Parts: sequence; structure tokens; C-alpha cells
Amino acid sequence: MGAFIRGIRNTFRNGIRTFSIIVILGLSIGLAMTMYLARVAVQDKINSVQGSIGNIVNISPAGARGSDGGGEPLTTDEINKVKALAHISSVTSTLTDRLASTDTNLQSAIDAGTLGQRQGQFNQRSFGGNSSNRSNTQANFTPPIQVIGSTDLNTLQSFGGGAINLTSGDKFDATSTDTVAIIGKGLADKNSLSVGSTFQAYGKALTVKGIFDSGNTFSNNLIVLPLATLQTLSSQSGQLSTAIATVDSINNLDSAVAAMKTTLGTAADVVSQQDTSSQALAPLENIKKISLLSLIGAAAAAAVIILLTMLMIVRERRREIGVLKAIGASNFSVIFQFMSEAITFTIIGAVVGLGLGIASSNSVINVLVNNASSAATPTGGGQGGGAAGQFLRFVGQSGSSLRNIHAVIGYQVIFYGLLAAILIAIIGSAFPAWLIAQVRPSEVMRAD
Amino acid sequence: MLKVKNVSRGFSSGETKVKAVNNVSFEVERGQFASIIGKSGSGKSTLLAILGALDKPTTGSIEVDGQDITKLGSSDLTRYRCQKIGFVFQGYNLIPNLSAIENVMLPMEFGHLASSKRRGRAADLLNQVGLSADKHVRRPSRLSGGEQQRVAIARALANQPKLILADEPTGNLDSQTGKMIFELLHSLARSEKTTIIAVTHDLSIAGKTDLTFKLQDGKLA
Repeated sequence: MGAFIRGIRNTFRNGIRTFSIIVILGLSIGLAMTMYLARVAVQDKINSVQGSIGNIVNISPAGARGSDGGGEPLTTDEINKVKALAHISSVTSTLTDRLASTDTNLQSAIDAGTLGQRQGQFNQRSFGGNSSNRSNTQANFTPPIQVIGSTDLNTLQSFGGGAINLTSGDKFDATSTDTVAIIGKGLADKNSLSVGSTFQAYGKALTVKGIFDSGNTFSNNLIVLPLATLQTLSSQSGQLSTAIATVDSINNLDSAVAAMKTTLGTAADVVSQQDTSSQALAPLENIKKISLLSLIGAAAAAAVIILLTMLMIVRERRREIGVLKAIGASNFSVIFQFMSEAITFTIIGAVVGLGLGIASSNSVINVLVNNASSAATPTGGGQGGGAAGQFLRFVGQSGSSLRNIHAVIGYQVIFYGLLAAILIAIIGSAFPAWLIAQVRPSEVMRAD
Repeated sequence: MLKVKNVSRGFSSGETKVKAVNNVSFEVERGQFASIIGKSGSGKSTLLAILGALDKPTTGSIEVDGQDITKLGSSDLTRYRCQKIGFVFQGYNLIPNLSAIENVMLPMEFGHLASSKRRGRAADLLNQVGLSADKHVRRPSRLSGGEQQRVAIARALANQPKLILADEPTGNLDSQTGKMIFELLHSLARSEKTTIIAVTHDLSIAGKTDLTFKLQDGKLA
């Protein structure tokens, strides 16, 4: 039996004390582990968000947003110039239109309600109605059905709806001119449409290629067509509502935005999402800082616990250390024995802590994320909603999606956790080890 | 075998300097059983600690088999204690959470004896000091005082030392058991040709040893 085994056995010399120390150590290491997992999960989320949208630039007609505002539409020629700029890796173009009840045989899945009636009254007053009567007319106003034409279905979530998750059928070739469509679930249900059904729009028959569920009522009332198809059907050839340019590297974002602004002049608003993303991610950055500080604090607490424990044990066994030295043990041998005891304490504590950390990490992360991000939740609503709100709409994620952060616990985390425990044990037992070296073997005579 | 020449050991207590051992010289031959007697505070234990390389003298030299141990470095002293010295203490000083046989195996581990040989040799030694096999695996708390001292003696013999130093080996035992332990040490000195130096208060025991040194105020009387 070597010093190492003796150290392990010594760990269990006093059952009650061992249990107490392991519980306290386990709590400290568990907290450290939770904070580490939180930090890693938050960092992954930040990287994921920054990686996906950090190099995206939104281009829209100057003065227009969605169906509101005014000005001139973007043109295919303008976007082709953007595509030709340096560092632009891709551009996705989109045209949006609205179908009135006279343009289609479909019925909107959204009832007008109070908000729709207000919009109808406003439109009537603004565009030729009787401006003196706010509560008049439009009693039968029906919200129009939004139609989107896009060159890339994969980025459709960036245009006001949720993600395109097909519940039946297939996507179409977005670069084609086919008279096909994918439609929202609400619209399909309202009009009893299924994959393969046809409906009328712009005087043409369109075939339902797929049905999607975006998770929100507004988006489920959408019709999505190939861009060229919509341009032709709606007589808007060469016209675009918005475009999204992807820059090849975040490092080239500023120069690419400047080049786009120069190319498009005052005809378009060119907005990089870098600033808004930073603001939206600020709560997560705060969590990162908090989790780092907590991680350091918990690890330091664990080291102090093991330090005090080993100090207590060394003082208690001073005579025994003297005996070991008197019968021929070297300083190294005795220190190694006590270190193995400290390491055993911390490894058992680490196992307990890992269990606690794994069990509680997701709950703790949720509490941290919800508390931190609630302070930054957009309150403006409507088209505004502050920078965070813009960002969330831009990336097509709801606030809950950004908050949806989960710790990933792999073997690597367990390995590093145990490694950290050993490091804590070594740091925590360094001073006791020095004390052990100072114990003279003659202590054993004095003790007698 | 053991030559002690002009050994002194002083301590400072505030501004007062005390010589616990004062210019002590003596020689002990191999296989002899010597006793050191004296009152409490006479320097017996200090002298024993110096002989066992647990402490260093302020002045003087101690030769064991021709080697001056006062000139050895720290690691050499550790090796010296491990290979040439066996200690028997008044309070036994066994490691409480190790069994009797594991206690005896400890010095063998420090002396780098092959692990496969340790258990057998430890069992032999325990048998030699009269501890029955069923008690080899008992922890010290489940052994009587006399049995614990037998384990301590077996532990002292583990590395076949040249010199066994015993500090009041019968001090915690009743007279009958103390006598048995003394007889055991005496027989070992003869059979193993081991030099034994024992500090004792018990004059009846001291009278039966080959040599007796009396310490008084740190000096040999």
C-alpha cells in the first residue's frame, strides 16, 4: 500500500467530517460547474447569433418599411450592382405584395377585428375617403393576404414571419417562374387547401406546393411564391421590396456597407445589424461576466475549503506526520499522501458537484437569461420596439428563442471539471504541504 | 558500533539558553542493550532524538558504524532513519487507521522493499513478537497496550536496523506487560544482534541491561 492509497483511505477516517466536507465542496464545485456551463452555453449562443446575422446587411427602399411608408421600390439593376461589390458573398431579393379580395378567391385567415378596422378607416381617410368620419364605413374591411416572392426560401424568416417549417409538401425552386406557392397553415385551413390544390391570384391559377407553420398567426396567413413569378403576376417586373446582402466576413462589414451606400445613394436605406445585435446581445454578455465572476468565486471557495480542511487535518495529525518521518518517510512521501487525500476529497466533491451542476445548469441558465434579458425586452411594439426588438424581428427570432439557451454537457466538460478539481486540490493543499515539510520528526518525541 | 562524542544540544527560551544535553560522550557495541535513566527534564528524550537523527546536536559527533550522522544532509538523514534506526515510543504511535500488519509494512515501503515481500515479512515479525495471526489485521484501537507495543517493536524491526531506540517502552504498560516487553527487546538484542538503547524510569529494568547511562541536568552522571 503506497502513500497514494493511504491518502485515499485517510479521506474516510472520519465519516461525518468527510460527508460534511464533500457536501460543502460539492456545492462549491457544483456552482462553479453551473457557472462554467452557463458561460459556455451563452457564449455558444452569442457566437451562433453573431455568426448567422452579424455579417448581414438589410437593404430597403428609402422611406419604406414593409407595406408602410413611400418612395420608389428597389430595382433588380440596383441589387445586381450590389452583388458585384467586393466582399458581398450573396444577396437575397424579395418582393412583397398584398392581395385584396378582388385579386384572389382566397379568404384571409385573419379577421379584421378592431385593429384591422382602424387600418381600413385610416386607409380610406388617407387615400380618398371621407376624412371627417373616423368611425364610418369599412365595416366589412378584410385584412389583405400578404404575398412574398423570394429568391431564397431559406432566408424567408428574415422578412417578418417565422421560420418556414413545412408541415406538408415541398419547397419550390425559388429561382423558377413556376406558378406554384407555399402557403401558411392558417390560410390553408381557412380555405380548405392541401398540397396539390389550386387557388386563384392575379387572375392565374396557382398550385399549392407546400404548407408551412411559422408558429404565428400573421405569418400563417402568407403566400410565398418564386420572386420572378410574383414580379410577373403583380406586374412589378424588375422591382424589389427588400434585399439582404451577406458580407463574406464580419471584418469587411463596415467597408461593404459604405460601398453599398455609395452605390445605392439616397434611393435605399442600408442598415447593418451589427449595432442592433450588440445591443440585443448585451444581456447575454452580462450573463457571461456574471458567470465568469461566479465561476472564479466558486472555484476560489472550493480551494479555500480544501485549504482549511487540509490545515485542520495537518494540525490534527502533526504527531502522525512526525511518526511517519521518524520511521523513514521522506517529506515528499508524506506530502504526497496528504495531497492524495486532498485530491480524493475534491474529486468526490467534484463528482457530487458535477451531478449538481448537470442537474441544475439549465434551470440556473434559464433564470439568469430570463432575468437579464427581461430588462432589455422591447417595449415599443409595432414597427419600433427599440434596437432589441428590431434585432429580434430581423433575425426572425422571438425573445423566447434568444433566451432558449441550453447547457451542453459532454465528456470534455466532465474531463475538464475533474482536472479543475485536481488543480483546486493542489492549490488548496500547497500551504498545508509547506506546513507538513516544516514538521520536524522530533515532534513525535515531544508529543510523548 | 555507536560512538557519541561531546554531544551538546542547547535551546533558547526567551533570553535564557538551556543545554538539554551537555557534553555527553559514550560508546555502545553491537548487540548491546543499553539503558538511559534520569529524572524528567534530564535530557534523556533529547539525547534519544539526537541519536535517532530526529534532531541535530549543537556540537559534537555521533558515529554509527563509522559514519558521522551529524554531517548528513536532510535526505541522507531520512535514509539513515529508515534503514538503520528503529523507534519504539512510549505511546506506541501506531497509525490508527492502519491494521497491525500495515503498520509494520510502513517502514518497508519507505525502505523501498518490494511490495510482494512486505506482507510476508511483516507477518513474520508480528509472529516473532508474539502477536497471534488473528490480530494482524486488527487496528490499533482493537489491541491492548501490550499488543500495540509489540506491533511497534515489530515495526521498529521492519528494515532490520542496526540500532533500536526505545523511549520509555514500558511507560504506558502495567508491570507484568512491561516486563514481557522488556524481555522481548532483550531477546531481540541477542537474537538479531541489534543494538538497543532504551530510555526508562524503571530502575529494575535498567538494572538488567548491559549498560546503563544516567543523565542528570543533561550530563552523564
